[in-house]
Amino acid sequence: MGSEPEPEGVAADATDDPPAVELDGVTKRYGDTAAVDDVSLRVREGEFFTLVGPSGCGKTTTLRLIAGFEEPTAGTVRFGGESVAGVPPEDRDVGVVFQNYALFPHMTVGENVGYGLNFADPPEGLSRDERVAELLELVDLPDAADRDPESLSGGQQQRVAMARALAPGPDLLLLDEPMSALDARLRERLRMQVRRIQSELGITTVYVTHDQEEALAISDRVAVMRDGTPEQIAPPRTVYREPSSRFVAEFVGDNNVFAGRLVDVEGDGESDDAPRTAGVDVGGETLRVAVGEANDTGVAPDDRLTFCVRPEYLRIGEGESRLAATVESAEFLGETTRVTLDWGGRDLVVRTRDPLSGEVVVGFDPEDAHVIGIDEE
Amino acid sequence: MSDASRGAGSRRTLREQVARRLRGRLLTALAVVTSAVLVAAFYYPVGTVLIEAVVVDGVPTLAVFAEVLRDPFYFGEFARLFAGESPLAVARALLAPDRRLGIVGFTAYQAALSTVASVALGLPAAYLLARFEFPGRRTLRSLTIVPFVLPSIMVAVGFVATFGTNGTLNGVLAGLGLPPVDLMFTLEAIVIAHAFYNAPLVARVTTAAWESVDASAVETARSLGAGPVRAFFDVVAPQVYPAVLTGAALTFVFTFGTFPIVLALGGFELATVEVFVYRLVRDLSYAEAAALAIVELVISLGVLLAYLRYEARNAVSSRGVRPLPRKSLVPDIPSLREVLPRLGLAAYVVVAGVVFVAPIASMVLASVTGGDGALTLDHYRFLIDRQQTGAAFQVRPWPAIRNSLAFASAATLLALPMGVVVAVLTTRRYRGRKLVDAAAMAPLAVSGIIVGLGLLRGLVFGVEIAGWRFAATGAVAIVVAHAVAGYPFVVRTVAPGLEGLDRSLIESARALGASRVRVIRDVELPLVWPGVVAGAAFAFAISIGEFTATVVLATGADAYTMPVAIERFIGRRLGPATAMGVVLLVVTGLSFVVIERLGGETRGL
Repeated sequence: MGSEPEPEGVAADATDDPPAVELDGVTKRYGDTAAVDDVSLRVREGEFFTLVGPSGCGKTTTLRLIAGFEEPTAGTVRFGGESVAGVPPEDRDVGVVFQNYALFPHMTVGENVGYGLNFADPPEGLSRDERVAELLELVDLPDAADRDPESLSGGQQQRVAMARALAPGPDLLLLDEPMSALDARLRERLRMQVRRIQSELGITTVYVTHDQEEALAISDRVAVMRDGTPEQIAPPRTVYREPSSRFVAEFVGDNNVFAGRLVDVEGDGESDDAPRTAGVDVGGETLRVAVGEANDTGVAPDDRLTFCVRPEYLRIGEGESRLAATVESAEFLGETTRVTLDWGGRDLVVRTRDPLSGEVVVGFDPEDAHVIGIDEE
Repeated sequence: MSDASRGAGSRRTLREQVARRLRGRLLTALAVVTSAVLVAAFYYPVGTVLIEAVVVDGVPTLAVFAEVLRDPFYFGEFARLFAGESPLAVARALLAPDRRLGIVGFTAYQAALSTVASVALGLPAAYLLARFEFPGRRTLRSLTIVPFVLPSIMVAVGFVATFGTNGTLNGVLAGLGLPPVDLMFTLEAIVIAHAFYNAPLVARVTTAAWESVDASAVETARSLGAGPVRAFFDVVAPQVYPAVLTGAALTFVFTFGTFPIVLALGGFELATVEVFVYRLVRDLSYAEAAALAIVELVISLGVLLAYLRYEARNAVSSRGVRPLPRKSLVPDIPSLREVLPRLGLAAYVVVAGVVFVAPIASMVLASVTGGDGALTLDHYRFLIDRQQTGAAFQVRPWPAIRNSLAFASAATLLALPMGVVVAVLTTRRYRGRKLVDAAAMAPLAVSGIIVGLGLLRGLVFGVEIAGWRFAATGAVAIVVAHAVAGYPFVVRTVAPGLEGLDRSLIESARALGASRVRVIRDVELPLVWPGVVAGAAFAFAISIGEFTATVVLATGADAYTMPVAIERFIGRRLGPATAMGVVLLVVTGLSFVVIERLGGETRGL
């Protein structure tokens, strides 16, 4: 654990174009504590890139470093390959939307949206009023121009803030938890709208959220941050299915994480029928997990293996590895029931459609397990 | 310009970039101008005076200080301590009945008494305002700001009209067949006048703290088993008493440096340090005056610093989500526990009426009462008549009124931009901010006499810089002195608004392309505008009522103001003094209305 950021995040874009945003060894210290610690990442042109993590992980500070509200203690921020060190926020051509929207309360909605046009000409030769109308149209508030921001609902304010940020035609859109003050249902609707607008404009976007579900739903790529450093930078599916660390495995979605000593290795993985699997001794029970091809993953007996099995892959009475457990509690969530089981003193989480009680046997196949880490003895 | 951003930054022409850079520096430029004004109007003049205490005939010396410290006239028995006697002997002498306190000792003594009186009068008011609901509560709460704008010389007039030999108190006593009392020129009169001034301050800060106690904290304590009294002492009191201490510390500092009230109500017989500094200045003993003023400053700052350290350690930043519910003044259940506090408050209201209402009412009454006791407008007529008949050397009322209004307007115009710039600078986050704050607030702590004297000798008598002679008229110097005295109040009304502004508003504007200064113009000032107007009203009121520096600068000049005129009238003709006091009351009352309507919660005060 505490692994290096996935190489994918940095090296994967092999194109010759410089990344829209690049952080190169960026550190931000406040006194003795590093809010952002040696972060390197690249955001591609037109990409929707999300920083996600628990509070205090440095995601907002990272965004503020990109916006220019903070200057890094060490390292370089580049836009399109050029350092922006010392460039004040007003000269960075970024649009920022804050959690509380920060609409100017003494201006109308139209004046808010048009404010940035005091400092930049509207794109495409539009007049100021035309541009404001265009943006309000884009966020589905065509008649709001003369209204007072405080008369709008939270969701409407959020959209005005979005329109205001986009009006001057910025190169980069920065969103700092723009939906966390809204209720769950509205949030889901708005995030689709945000994503639609982003795709329509093709604007490079950096999005900050603590909500992993939102991050998975909206992003092209996600950086899961912890203690000022990205633990994994990858597309949502990869982050969910192949977490690179125990932290990522447990932060993104529900998970069952196991750790134990490797007992044996079977198969060579060269035919699909017989994947190469390892037997792992977890609490006296040998569980079989797929470990990939021999030349990919060097495993030897007595290594300590950490792996995870998502709740939806734990099936009742099925699977190669079986775990006899007792139902501890159940939460009815609507489409599924989330059941917590006690398996020899460890908690397991499964999702079922039918209610469970008493003694149950759950199981999984080797391919359903994802190996997070191998510590050689 | 290789570090320019990739987007429009590199597309901008060189000229636009240079213009942007310059605008980026505008805040710095404003800060430099403000600092220059502060140095010219405060630090330099005050410095030239204070330096006299340690430089005699061009030679640095501590002799003047040593003399002052060892003089029993100033320090009483403590002087022997500074002279090298053993602390034990001094302590014994202090316990003896015939102890001498000296002027400094007396000043501290009356300040301590005044503080006790102010807290004693202020706390019941806070209890009433914070815990009870009644018609006029909001108005009453707002009125606690009034002392800040009431000129102290006017308060003195009110006290003479109330407690003087022919005052209303003696009138009432005579009506009741009781012997008259003479409170004039007694310590009691000074202490009561100080309480008039400072008890509302104690009440104000305490009420604010009491109101911010979260009801759910009290309810939690109650649900955990604490009775109402226990809950009060465990939950409410710890949040309230730092505020009481704030009020007490400020009261002590204010009353330690008191001047017009003691001058008018105590005379030189009951002189405090500030009064004696004034006397030394009049006698042209500048070195001794400067040394004494430094001693005064050190003591005041010492108290203030000790308090600030305490405050920093004990800062409770709990914002009451839900304040305690207010009780009705009419008890629901006629139990002893319900009735007793209300009876206490009723008794308090009578005392408060005598202390707070009587002086103002007496002043208004005296201004329309002739020598024969009949109602008359003679005193007001005199304000205009005197002008035609008065000799040139006499203080004439009309010029005083005109001067006051002109000076106050000019001082406000100067104080406003200074205050706003300092407020902007002290609400930014950077290293050394506290130092800037302290340097900018120093005018509040330094003796007005010294500021006046410094300006008199520094600006009015002129300075020679590089062969050029700079001299200002007395009027200009007065305006500058008033602006220096008033702008900290602008800072105090504007800064909380700026501090409370959502930082993301500013950052949004900047991300949209606005420069630092442009954000101040477009976003910050419009949002804190009520505070700016309230600050202007404060500055105006402070200037109208300023006495200490003015009396030094107006000496001999034609630039006297209403407070100075009142002080001249007060000994000889109470009628005109009260009439002019009423004029001051009206002007400051209007300022109060502006502050109240727009300033809202000026918690910084």
